[in-house]
Amino acid sequence: MRNIHIAIAGNPNAGKSTLFNALTGSHQHVGNWPGKTVKKKVGRCKHGDYPMKVVDLPGTYSLSAFSPEEVIARDYILDQQPDVVVIVLDSANLERNLYLAVQTLELGVPIVAALNMSDIVDAQGIKIDYEHLEKALQSPVVRTVASKGEGIEQLIETIIDLAEGQSVQSPDQKEPFSINYGGEAEAEIQRVEERIIQNSAVPAHLPERWLAIKLLEEDEELWKRMEGVEGGPRLLEETQRGIDRLEKLYGDDLDITFAERRYGWIAGLVQRAVKRTVSNRMSTSDKVDRIVTHRILGIPIFLIAMWVVFQLTVNISGPYVDWVDGVISGPLTSWIEALIGRVGFGGTWLEGLFLDGIIPGVGGVLVFIPVLMFLYFALAILEDSGYMARAAFVMDRLMHIMGLHGKSFLPMLVGFGCTVPAIYATRTLENKNDRILTGLLVPFMSCGARLPVYVLMASVFFPSNAGLVIFGMYSLGIVTAIILGVILKHTLFKGKEQSTFVMELPPYRLPTLRGIWFHMWKRTSAFLRKAWTVIMVVSIVLWVLISIPMAEGGLFAETEVGDSLFAAVNRQIAPIFGPLGFESWETSSALITGFLAKEVVIGTMSQVYAVEKGVEGIQSTSFFEDLGTIVTGFVDATMDAVKSLPLIMGINLFEEEEKPEPTALMNAIRMNFEASSGGHGALAGLSFMVFVLIYTPCMVAVAAERQELGPKWMWVSILGQTILAWLMALIIFQGGKLLGFG
Amino acid sequence: MSVNTLPLSMVKEGENIRLVRLNAGERMSQRLTEMGLTPGTEFTVIQNTTGPLLLLVRDTRLALGRGMALKIVVEQLCEKED
Repeated sequence: MRNIHIAIAGNPNAGKSTLFNALTGSHQHVGNWPGKTVKKKVGRCKHGDYPMKVVDLPGTYSLSAFSPEEVIARDYILDQQPDVVVIVLDSANLERNLYLAVQTLELGVPIVAALNMSDIVDAQGIKIDYEHLEKALQSPVVRTVASKGEGIEQLIETIIDLAEGQSVQSPDQKEPFSINYGGEAEAEIQRVEERIIQNSAVPAHLPERWLAIKLLEEDEELWKRMEGVEGGPRLLEETQRGIDRLEKLYGDDLDITFAERRYGWIAGLVQRAVKRTVSNRMSTSDKVDRIVTHRILGIPIFLIAMWVVFQLTVNISGPYVDWVDGVISGPLTSWIEALIGRVGFGGTWLEGLFLDGIIPGVGGVLVFIPVLMFLYFALAILEDSGYMARAAFVMDRLMHIMGLHGKSFLPMLVGFGCTVPAIYATRTLENKNDRILTGLLVPFMSCGARLPVYVLMASVFFPSNAGLVIFGMYSLGIVTAIILGVILKHTLFKGKEQSTFVMELPPYRLPTLRGIWFHMWKRTSAFLRKAWTVIMVVSIVLWVLISIPMAEGGLFAETEVGDSLFAAVNRQIAPIFGPLGFESWETSSALITGFLAKEVVIGTMSQVYAVEKGVEGIQSTSFFEDLGTIVTGFVDATMDAVKSLPLIMGINLFEEEEKPEPTALMNAIRMNFEASSGGHGALAGLSFMVFVLIYTPCMVAVAAERQELGPKWMWVSILGQTILAWLMALIIFQGGKLLGFG
Repeated sequence: MSVNTLPLSMVKEGENIRLVRLNAGERMSQRLTEMGLTPGTEFTVIQNTTGPLLLLVRDTRLALGRGMALKIVVEQLCEKED
């Protein structure tokens, strides 16, 4: 059986990615805000006897060549010639969605229209006449609910039929699809079309009528293409005369006139094919929007939403963090120790590498997986429900202060999860200056990897106000970005034109468990991958550096950490941090490795503080006893998490807040910071957190900056962040001391 | 039959209007056009206070920056409230 090549096109938010997942079974990221798939995704699958290659094109509103996504989508359809293009349409929003379908039909490729989210339409009492649509579009129409997997089987069958040439078209529709643009325009289109047919140098895979229309619309990309073709300049000259004639006649740009005609045709079709049984202009979505996007209430609602997210992240995940910590430092460590002993390496450097290098390094990071899962869970709900787009709307005014607009807020929100995709997300902005400015400010949105550092430091120095301090860090990042944006707007970006804010607000949707799970898992697994690669390597390298002795007579792997090569190097660097309150080689090593990735900051700390093992691991337990402890520990953690739910609202229903038992690492950090700051440990801790917030997020983010903004802006970003981090930490520590805090 | 044209930014909330002209640059006009804002389109202003406007265009809720709204010329449709 032959391979079927399918491209999926559709408006942002029509459910393209969900349908792609349903077809290919792959776990793709899906969110409810416009403009995620900038690159195209490819999946392979087999249905029946047919192997299929499915390409998910970026979401676009049209196939003109005005944005990078549109060019990618259009060139793919034109040049790669897929067997079938599946157009995903949001059934609740047919008129606007059909515009892309019509443009694709004009390209002359076989399409299947998937009328997605049809359950929502049913619920709204809207009846769609599928047969009528099929006739008008001269293409099969399939009803789907991709999120529930409904209609997928039928869609696949339809695709196969169409690819095999057994289309549903009735024989009287031999004419290819076309829209009538009206007397004068049609005459002109035909004139240009004939010229194109006569010119044999025009690439044969460009449909003539479509090319004629696009040239008359002054499509930049196609004009450029035709200039290079033999006889092209003459063709363009004649086209230009036609354009001048028609524009005089219609009194408007031809592309607008043509778009008007297409929309007119669509409006007529929708009127005939869609029947509203209930006339309900003010939907529930609108009612919610009345409040959520309210001029005055909007921003407080946004802040409350963020507050709940971070309380949830910090408080509910707490018991699970303790549980993971217990498992790693207890049973897991003793199992590995026993295993190494069993194979005969007990007491050698290999044991040291595992027990003092890899386990504390990687384990120290893995402990925070619950925190991240709760953060990603909350972000997934915000995205999938459609609230993110509202946040952009509400923040538009604020973004204008720094010379940006609401759409730039989306990459910034993504930045709370991870800086790297956030920098890539700046691609969805149309204006280059917007992209650069947004890319420079995104790193100040505190990413998930920085959270564990705050959690640890806050629980050391501010155990009773941890949530507040952490929230403060996030707010400080935002405020810094705003102030910096204002400064940049009036200096480096002075006089640069501000682009315009146009964005679709998708209807609110109830997030599906499956969607949220995909989302959470995708991000958490990316973090886990980092743990196994970057963090593992850093832990090993660190252990080696720590094991090389600098003192006389020291032996490899048996030297005191403080006498190691690593300590010696970092002692040279440490004075830089003196004025900030944390001049110690331990802290500076954590920050230096933090340049690679913020995930390793805590790992490094666990290693360099060479935390003495308590007496806990001494009593030997059997494997099954350990397993039992792990399971009951998880149950207890869940009970504690449920109990702390009311804490989100700041209510403590259950017993006195018990101070968590400080771990050995926490005690070591406290002592170290107290010593380096001359007794102002808490201030130094805060200053350290601010430094971590502001300086370069990680090497991968730097690479993303280089790719998206260019080397010049990458260096501006790195140097700017480091200097700013130092200055702000200085202000916190010295200012705090002057004012008598801490 | 009202022929009262005004910039979109001055339209009151809840009013139904028809688009007359886009006085924007070519790129921006194209953007608005493909989002469904073509001349002759009838649509509703859902929100217009400060900051961006919220429009209901062809069953889609569109957020539109205030700067752009200044450059869009619309005409008011006669009141047909029941």
